[in-house]
Formats: sequence, structure tokens, C-alpha cells
Amino acid sequence: MTQATSTPTWRLLCDDGATHSRGLAADDALAGRVGQGLSPPSLRLYSYEPCALVGRFQTLETELHLDTCRSLGLPVNRRPTGGGAIVMGPDQLGVALVLAAGEGDTYARARELMARFAQGVVEGLGTFGIDARFRGKNDVEVGGRKIAGLGIYRHPSAGMLFHASILVGLDVAHMLRVLDTPFEKITDKELATVSARTCTVRRETGREVSVTEVRDAIAEGYRRVFGVALERGELDAAERSSVDTVEAEKYLDPRWVRQRIEVPDAFGSARRKTPGGLLELRVTLAGSTLKAVFIAGDFFAPEGAIADLEGRLRWHSSHPRALEATLREAYARWGDELGSLALPDLLETLAEAVRSASHAGAKEQLAMYGCFVNPQGT
Amino acid sequence: MVDSVSAYPFPRERFYQAEHHMWASRDSASGEVTVGIDVLGVQSLGDLAFVSLLPVGTRVERARPLGALEAAKITGDVVAPVSGEIVAVNADVLRDPSIVNRDPYGQGWLVRLCADRWVADAESLVSGSRLDAWVASEIRRYRERGWIR
Repeated sequence: MTQATSTPTWRLLCDDGATHSRGLAADDALAGRVGQGLSPPSLRLYSYEPCALVGRFQTLETELHLDTCRSLGLPVNRRPTGGGAIVMGPDQLGVALVLAAGEGDTYARARELMARFAQGVVEGLGTFGIDARFRGKNDVEVGGRKIAGLGIYRHPSAGMLFHASILVGLDVAHMLRVLDTPFEKITDKELATVSARTCTVRRETGREVSVTEVRDAIAEGYRRVFGVALERGELDAAERSSVDTVEAEKYLDPRWVRQRIEVPDAFGSARRKTPGGLLELRVTLAGSTLKAVFIAGDFFAPEGAIADLEGRLRWHSSHPRALEATLREAYARWGDELGSLALPDLLETLAEAVRSASHAGAKEQLAMYGCFVNPQGT
Repeated sequence: MVDSVSAYPFPRERFYQAEHHMWASRDSASGEVTVGIDVLGVQSLGDLAFVSLLPVGTRVERARPLGALEAAKITGDVVAPVSGEIVAVNADVLRDPSIVNRDPYGQGWLVRLCADRWVADAESLVSGSRLDAWVASEIRRYRERGWIR
């Protein structure tokens, strides 16, 4: 006799135009409630009113041009998930998958969880004929270019929040005005380079795909990957009340939004003449983690391959052996397409840029400790 | 051997919080308890990018957050293995969290607590004669799942 097995059901929540604080508070509150068994597992697919969101451990002043944000009337906030600063708005689809984390192995399972959660996005984008794949720790990429950023937050209640932001479309000039990038100034050249290294659903499909279409495809992607039934729903009164509380006590509280992080950013650069052409690297280092790497020069290589190198190095250990292992994987993927940028040249130049950033960081720390007055009085 | 032969050492004199892989070590003279993340916790987290800790003077409860961390783009809480008031925070780790990866039982300590329920809290931690069996089963479990080699 065959025993019927019931298909697990997730609630599907869809909304648009969430404010920065409300959007984040809803995900956070749901993670808390799902962890306590008070709310069902939920997949929320939504968009924000235009805003800029920094990662959990970033400092607003170093990640965003706050004057520009003010002049544009662009609100800023802090995600519970890690990673870098992003701009969100009507053309970026937010994904929040909230599940119970189970027993305390979330950290150990982080990598496999991230890969699995990313698969819903990959599958959904496949609906449009987009050949997306999960990369490294936390990106979904297409031909080396990032199309979605990912992050996981484990709520104290043991609820788990998986976040993704999918670029349906992107105004690159707006993004570069808002985010503080390693560029000294933004010229047409920088704009063209960043545009060539980014990827959106609209660019890949060559048509004005709506956020609603992408939302439907992503929902279907998760349904297939996780073998669940999705049931459209809304937040109930108790949940809305939890969201109110979390919004007021966290995402509207300057102590959360404006907190400063102890690990200072340090910037470094290096350039070298290689047989393939001039190679220039700019890096941002936080402690011993590479936050960002920008690769430029007059060597020849496809922008997708360079975007892939940059993506793999983002949020990466700056330890030389770890860098080499990661870059070897990238070179195995791209083969001859990176022929004019020899791996040893890239590794040596990267090591030099990291050294220059470490040196700059050390000088900054000395300056900090030279001050006898602690303005915070702690 | 639990102490040093294994690639995943668990110093014998310490107490371990099984679910979150935190360690606690009590100084019998001062009564203060030093807290950190054990080697399996560190290994499975990967490279720590950021750590934040509650300030000195804050009271924390066992199994409640005493800070937060980010590693491999997962963020979450650092959970207190015992209750008490934070009397010292490792400022070096805040500035360079990779210290925890390099030296989890030494320079990578996180906070010191004036633990006011040590005897009761310690009963919930793994130590002494239970340590060998627990470490062996945890290492086996982590290997089977592919979280460590």
C-alpha cells in the first residue's frame, strides 16, 4: 500500500513599495515568529520604495554618500543580513525566505544552506532563459556578472531569514552616486565599466520584464526546488503588531541604523606592467577581509571574466593562500579568456594592494589610539 | 586525546556549550569566566569578517546573545554559555576578528563575565568525563555532514 505524503506548505507574501524600515522589520519580525513557531514558513517577494541599505556590519558614513542620499530624499537603513551596501527600489525584487532554523547547526550549514536557497533564484531566472548560477559564498551570477546578492540571518529565536535582492533593472549611475565606491571620481569610463560588469534580468532578456513577472517566476522556482505548495496570504493582526514593534524598536532607532563598526576600512592600490598590459588594482580591506576589489588596466579580457574575479574576491579572506585557491578556480573556469592577465601577475599585484591597505589601516589605527579623548565617553 | 593530538583540540579544563560551540573557562582566583568560540564552531563558521559584543557592564543571560558576528555572509548571534555581567571585552577581536580563527582558545577570547550562577550554569555545559565522548561524536557528525574534513 502506498502511503500518501503531504506536501509542505509555505505562505507566499507579495507586496510592493515597502518603506525601508517597514520592509526590513517585516522580515525580521517574521524570522522571530517563525523561530518560535508562531508564524508559518513564509516566502516574501517584495519591492521597496527607493532606499539604500547597508549590510549588518557596515558603517553608513563609509558605505554611502550621505549628502547625496539627503539631497535625493533617499532613506537609508541597515539590514540584519551581512554583505555590502545596495540600492533598492521598484526595479529590484527582494526575496525573504523565513524558515525555522532547527537545532543549532545553522552556522555549520551556512554554505550548503546558501547554495540551496540560491537555487530557488537560479531556477526562477531559468524561466526567462537566463543561465544563472550560485557563485562562491553569496552571489547569483550570469556569465560572471552578479545578478543577485544573498545573505542569511539567524534570529535569536532560531528563525532563519534568507535574503536576496534580484536586479530586475538597475540605474547604474544612480547606484554610483549613492554608494561610496573605490573610484576616486565617477567618469563615463567608470560608468561604462561598472555597467558592463553588472547584470539585470532586463538586459539578459532584452525586454522590459516587469517585477511582477520576475516575482511569479521566482515563486515557481522555489516551489519546484523545495517541493512545497505556496499559498498566497497576508500578515495577520498579531504579525502586524510584531512588525510595528520591531520597526519602532530597531529599524527606526538610530542606535541600530547609525551604529559604527569597530573594524576600520582601509584602502590600498597597486599597479604593475605585465606582458599582457598595465594592471591596476584597488582594494578595500576590513580587518583581514577583502570587502571590494576593482580590477582595471589595458590588458584584454572579457568584462564577465573580470566581474567574476571581482565577485569571487568580495568578502574574501586576504590570506595569500586562500586568494590563490579561489583565483585558481576562476582561472580554470575562464581558461584562455584570461590569457593576457597571468595569474601570478594578478596574485602579486593583489598581494601588493593588500599590503598597501594594511599599511594604511595600521597608520589610521595609530592615529586613533593617539587621541586621549574618547568622544563617546566609554 | 581531546587536548592536542586532534586537529580539533578541546582543552580539557574548559566547559563547552554544545549547541552553539562556545567555551567557558573559570578563573578560580577571581571567579571570572572567559568566553570564546570552540574550534569546531570556528571551523564551521569559516573566516570571521565582523564581531560585535555588548559593552562592559551589560548583564547577559545564559543562552541569550552577548554579541553578533558575520562570517561567510551569514549573520547571527554570539550566545552566552553562562549568565553574568560583562567585565571585559576583547577589543583586539573587535578590530580584527580573524584572531578568533587563528587562536580561538587564546587571543581570540571574546568577553569576561562575572558569572553569578556558575555552578548551575556549568551543569548545562559539557566538561570533565563527558568531554571525550561528546567531542568524538561532534567531530564524527561534522565530518559526516562535510562541514569539516
